[in-house]
Amino acid sequence: MDACSAVGRDIDKVLSKFTTYSDHASSTLGGLQANIESLKTDIDNVGYGDVSESQAMQLTQTLGRVKEAVSRLSIEHRDLHSSVSRVGKAIDKNFTADFGCLANDEVLTGDKQHLVNEVICQHFYREGLLDIAEEHIKETGLELPHEAREPFFELNRILGALKNKDLGPALTWAQENRDKLREQNSSLEFKLHRLAYISLLSQQPVNVSQAIEYARTYFTPFVYHHEKVIQSLMGCLLYVKGGLENSPYAHLLSPSQWTEICDVFTRDACSLLGLSVDSSLAVCVNAGCTALPVLLNIKQVMAQRQVHNMWNTKEELPVSIEFPDMCNFYLPNICFAMKLEVSDHKNKVKLIYCVVVKKSKIVKILVNSKLKITFYLLE
Amino acid sequence: MADVSSIEHPTLKVPYEILNKKFRLAQKTLDREVCHVTTAVTELERVLFTENRSAAQISTLLGGVVEKLNSFKRKAEEATQEEIECGRVVKRRVDHLKEHDSLNQAVVAEWKKSRLDRLLVEYLLRTGCYNTATKLAASRGIEGLTNLDVFLVAREVEQSLAARDTTKCLAWCHDNKSKLRKLNSSLEFNVRMQEFIEFIKGDRRMDAIRHARKHFTGQDTAHLPSIQRCMALIAFPADTEVCPYKDLLSGSRWDDLIAQFRGENLKLYQLSSQSAFSVVLQSGLSALKTPHCYRGSTGHNPDCPVCLRSLNALASPLPYAHCSQSRLVCNISGDQLNENNQPLMLPNGYVYGQKCLKNQTDIHNLTLSCVKLHEELDKASFKAVKVFLM
Repeated sequence: MDACSAVGRDIDKVLSKFTTYSDHASSTLGGLQANIESLKTDIDNVGYGDVSESQAMQLTQTLGRVKEAVSRLSIEHRDLHSSVSRVGKAIDKNFTADFGCLANDEVLTGDKQHLVNEVICQHFYREGLLDIAEEHIKETGLELPHEAREPFFELNRILGALKNKDLGPALTWAQENRDKLREQNSSLEFKLHRLAYISLLSQQPVNVSQAIEYARTYFTPFVYHHEKVIQSLMGCLLYVKGGLENSPYAHLLSPSQWTEICDVFTRDACSLLGLSVDSSLAVCVNAGCTALPVLLNIKQVMAQRQVHNMWNTKEELPVSIEFPDMCNFYLPNICFAMKLEVSDHKNKVKLIYCVVVKKSKIVKILVNSKLKITFYLLE
Repeated sequence: MADVSSIEHPTLKVPYEILNKKFRLAQKTLDREVCHVTTAVTELERVLFTENRSAAQISTLLGGVVEKLNSFKRKAEEATQEEIECGRVVKRRVDHLKEHDSLNQAVVAEWKKSRLDRLLVEYLLRTGCYNTATKLAASRGIEGLTNLDVFLVAREVEQSLAARDTTKCLAWCHDNKSKLRKLNSSLEFNVRMQEFIEFIKGDRRMDAIRHARKHFTGQDTAHLPSIQRCMALIAFPADTEVCPYKDLLSGSRWDDLIAQFRGENLKLYQLSSQSAFSVVLQSGLSALKTPHCYRGSTGHNPDCPVCLRSLNALASPLPYAHCSQSRLVCNISGDQLNENNQPLMLPNGYVYGQKCLKNQTDIHNLTLSCVKLHEELDKASFKAVKVFLM
């Protein structure tokens, strides 16, 4: 964080200097004010007569100090400017001012503007910011079909209930979509029932028979897949008297169970509805923030080496971007000889060593004796 | 860390510019007040010097000095407090940016979310969706981290210009006089010219001439041709068809003024004409764009942002991501297949990662169900597969 630390240090210096200056000004001026006030009181007491020689002397001296103090304060303030401008220089040095050179003006403007607005609006719905989305629609005159909004209303309603520890809407939804969830190998419904069961056990006073009744009714269909978990859940009954928090099952009471169920629900619901798990806009922006410094760097290097036209090839970025998180949505098969993607299956050849190569290239490789790897082309 | 320094320049530069402006204002105030105090003091000193000792007179003059001194102290305090507050805004933003590097994953995730909100607020402000931007900033509590105020002040000026009222714009020009002079801005001159043209339109030619006398003399010589053209307008009626005088009378000149104001406002705060959001979005789309996204709807990954209809259309003129290596990933666990996670081929031809097959066999003892085909297979028949990735 050198960039931030550098600026942080300079701004701290500015703040401390200003505070010192302010205190100094207050005390100096306060002292002078007090002096003058007392002198004035004395002179007022003289009434209609003349002031004495000593008073006049004192007055002259004090007035001299006043003039000197105020002009000095003004000069001291002016001297602070160098510290202030140092902050500006630190910002310019450590942060890129001109990132706009990378972007193409026409890509997002004009008739494409409504697409950007659409993406932003969908993002607001996804995040549950329904009133902000409505405001956005009003201000941009966007027309979103109702079907685009419906799934998000439902999702946010259920999530809202889950955040309030109300499992009802989620359970209804899970039961309605049981078949589709099973196809996805989702254990959402079971996890919801598990949480409901734990809640029954943790409420005071505990109604054990109610909990057992719940387990009997709802756990049975899940025994095949979740046998061990159900066994441990029934084991909880042993510790009800002494309190679950003192048992080996204390972790089941943790509030992280609730955050986890929200995540599981979001993931499964989005998967079912064919939506992406995370907001597309968020993924894209995070990817862009990772990509941007790399691209700025390469642009700088190209400019230095005076390779201006390479950037204008609109086919591919000049450099590959490494994403640490799961940003790899498609797994390309790259021909190692040509460094291009092999898209068609018929072009791909799996050799005995499982090398993926474009078929037409193999002949060239065999001919080209410079390569050290030998290939055996089986008929 | 690098991505912070790539796009966060405006986040820090704008409050810095505000601090700078406050500083200059404070310095002017202090100098003015010093002048007042010094004048009052000098007056009194002069009286004392003339050996006049009348207590009443001295007391009155002294009262004047006290008043000026009090005023100086008060104004100095106010100005310094405002400067400190501006400095604190810069500090708060710097501290916020530092959180990007935190070791706590939850803090970093929260920070990224906040970054997206900040980018959105700025983009919404630039495209004129002021209410949405204000609501979003308020709901996420990020007003202090965005440059909302700059754009809202600008919006007021733009609205007044759209209503053909020049007062707010001229006030803004006066407020930022020194910086605009450094930028060689012709905004104020253009506004004055527009006022002249409005006089002509309203057939108030004498007023127009008086206005010209007041504001056009003493202008830069570079403006002389425009002034001459304007003055010639006096000779033409308001509905003339003769160009270029017809264009001068056109209402679209107000839109040009608004556009010029917007540009100058951005330059004043050293903001780029492109919003950070659009730059980041384009880079992101480009970095994620693969030919798969444009091959029709089969095999679409719903998680890929570029496959979303609207983003897909936006990304089409952008370059593809550059990929020089094949990437293979275990279908069950999602981990990469590399030297730490050797690919193993099952007899049915499917290849999975060694780590995840080990986990699976622990649970189900010696046999393994192939997840894809739900077949039971014998562990002994697994073959190691070497995959060359170059």
